[in-house]
Amino acid sequence: MIGIEHYLVVSSILFVMGVLGIFLNRKNVIIILMAIELILLAVNINLVAFSSALQDLTGQIFAMFVLTVAAGEAAIGLAILVIYFRGRGTIAVDDVNRMKG
Amino acid sequence: MDYGQSLLITLPEIILSIGGLVLLLVAAWSGAKATRAVSISAVALLVAAGVATLCYTGDAFGALYSGDQFSDFGHVLIYIAAAISLMIAPRFFQRAGLARAEYPILILYACVGMGMMVSATDFLTLYIGLELNSLAAYVLASFLRTDERSAEAGLKYFVLGALASGILLFGMSLVYGFTGSTSFVAVLGSLGGGMETGALFGIVFVLAGLAFKISAVPFHMWTPDVYEGAPTPVTAFFASAPKVAATALTVRVAVDAFGTQTLAWQQIIIFIALASIILGGVAAIGQTNLKRLLAYSSINNIGFLLIGLAAGTQEGISAVLVYLSIYVAMTLGSFACIMQLRGPDGEPREELSDIAGLSQTNKGLALAMAIFMFSLAGIPPLFGFWGKVVVFDAAIGAGLLPLAVIGIAASVIGAFYYIKIVKLMYFDESRTVLQTGDGKALAWIGAIMALLVSPLGYFSIPLLGGFANNAASALF
Amino acid sequence: MIQTFAFYLFATIVLLSGAFTIFAKNPVHSVLWLILAFFNAAGLMVLAGAEFIAMLLVIVYVGAVAVLFLFVVMMLDIDFAELRAGFARYLFFGIVLAVFLAIELVLGLEAFRAGAIKLGTATSAPVDAAVPNLEAIGALLYTKYVFLFEAAGLILLVAMIGAIVLTHRKRSGTRPQNVAKQVRRRPQDAVRNLTPEIGQGVDL
Repeated sequence: MIGIEHYLVVSSILFVMGVLGIFLNRKNVIIILMAIELILLAVNINLVAFSSALQDLTGQIFAMFVLTVAAGEAAIGLAILVIYFRGRGTIAVDDVNRMKG
Repeated sequence: MDYGQSLLITLPEIILSIGGLVLLLVAAWSGAKATRAVSISAVALLVAAGVATLCYTGDAFGALYSGDQFSDFGHVLIYIAAAISLMIAPRFFQRAGLARAEYPILILYACVGMGMMVSATDFLTLYIGLELNSLAAYVLASFLRTDERSAEAGLKYFVLGALASGILLFGMSLVYGFTGSTSFVAVLGSLGGGMETGALFGIVFVLAGLAFKISAVPFHMWTPDVYEGAPTPVTAFFASAPKVAATALTVRVAVDAFGTQTLAWQQIIIFIALASIILGGVAAIGQTNLKRLLAYSSINNIGFLLIGLAAGTQEGISAVLVYLSIYVAMTLGSFACIMQLRGPDGEPREELSDIAGLSQTNKGLALAMAIFMFSLAGIPPLFGFWGKVVVFDAAIGAGLLPLAVIGIAASVIGAFYYIKIVKLMYFDESRTVLQTGDGKALAWIGAIMALLVSPLGYFSIPLLGGFANNAASALF
Repeated sequence: MIQTFAFYLFATIVLLSGAFTIFAKNPVHSVLWLILAFFNAAGLMVLAGAEFIAMLLVIVYVGAVAVLFLFVVMMLDIDFAELRAGFARYLFFGIVLAVFLAIELVLGLEAFRAGAIKLGTATSAPVDAAVPNLEAIGALLYTKYVFLFEAAGLILLVAMIGAIVLTHRKRSGTRPQNVAKQVRRRPQDAVRNLTPEIGQGVDL
């Protein structure tokens, strides 16, 4: 049995990577969306690891709901990206700023 | 667990979900023709759901959902705000050539999510409710899909909203791990006997995620852009109903789940509150767009709301609810006024310079706008003042005198730009030709809201205060 | 032993592919790295005894979400080199942030070593070793969490409505099939039997 702290370290690093991905790829929205998926993956690893360490199924149920929402979120995010691209011809968020950031 | 009872307690959500499905079918079959009918039915559904909320109280589905007085208060306020956002919308979208029946349906589903948020007594319910509301909100923000600003607002809202959800979720997973449960009651009990560092991290992450959703400083960056870019009726909706839901949710999480670790979150809330009040007041000064200005005003107001929460007492929570109710009336009224500003060709006007000299062209509108601005600034004869009084009173009652003093000082700074708007309307010369007034609905809603926040509003104090007290007592 | 080995293998690959996802130059590569990360995370979950979630992760993420990403990446005709232009600008700040966080994490790890972390005690849904994971999840999902299960359905509905409202457009100039007309057509209206004379041709 692998200790819970190992899982926590993996998920924390993954979480940090996801947040970093959002800040680094400020212009490329597609990679930002993928970074969001990485964050949710980190959360899922956390939940499943806790569920196994606590011998409690709630964490796994939670992880399932997170999965469902992640799928919905990806669909909406990509849909918004598509209409943004249609209007602009680019997916860079911060260069052609109509609004002051 | 009695399913029948549970279903009755969750009746408002069930009415809205099934009603939404039926309306979706109607919309699919009759297309854009049915938009008006669908909007009217959606308002009727919200009324029915509001009545259903008040009929049944108790816990539903184990400890997942609680239909107590607090949730009743939140539900009713949310439904009223959503119904008003539905009523002000049709003409706007007709003029934009995008009258679509999906708008009321998305609002209905957002309301289902918000209802779950204010009733959540489990982190799972909280998460699902929040995401249902957020997903609908992302779509609503980019609803004018041919307008680049709307798409950009949707994109920004989505990216930052999803990041906030991620942070919130990470926090919830830590809280779950270190307390062993997702239920608020169990978390409260588990945190009672000392706290692991991991749980503290969890609380901080959860609060950071929630601060984002209520657009409090330092997680407010999205608010001005989204408020400016989203279609105005949608902005009015964002500024009212989801604000109520997220604030009520934050209150419930802080009190019901983390109530045994008050010291851990009180400092954070105090910092966020003061930062929001000050930044909301100062950053608004340089704005030239009315919608951006109201965005900063909403950040500013969230700060005052959080002062009530920082008090952490029943009195403080009751003050938060009173303030929220008044805030919803003020903000919806201001947006109803802004939406009446149209250029000569009927295009929406939302620049600060557009309202110069408004008092000469449209006396009624200028008067209503002035009432809302003075009320938002908290200038005494108007009802907005009362909200600030109860909040500061609660803070002083909880021994947070310095917080109250700084808050009052900052509210004076904030008053500056509200007064600037009034000065612009009454003492400046009109520079643009405006065609004001846009349908009866807007004028009526503006007038009713203006009456509510006028000094007449003080007559409602016993009633509103009573409801708020009842609601707050459900949490303690 | 084999468990420990598998854990470190999966964990390393998850983290590496996560890093490549955000650093890759080409978004298509990013998606592929993301898929690898998902597969290995699923491996981690199997090790933790959550077979069903692991399976869902592969089916939902790799099967649906990642493919959706690929689809959009390829559908939008984007000049990716231009998008990378600002990368170096944020790189310095990003790396400072990352180093800081990494130090923090190492400290955290040391703190873990100092004493085992104390988790809470769960009471709500204990795992019964005799019941398979799938069955146990089903038994919970359709009883205790049925309300949330339905609400999650609404989330997917909203996502569907949203995606259609935003992206669906009626194109002018297309000629969609008229189903009613197709169904109404009968063989006697459509088929003629002719015996053409030689050299006369056929009337169409």
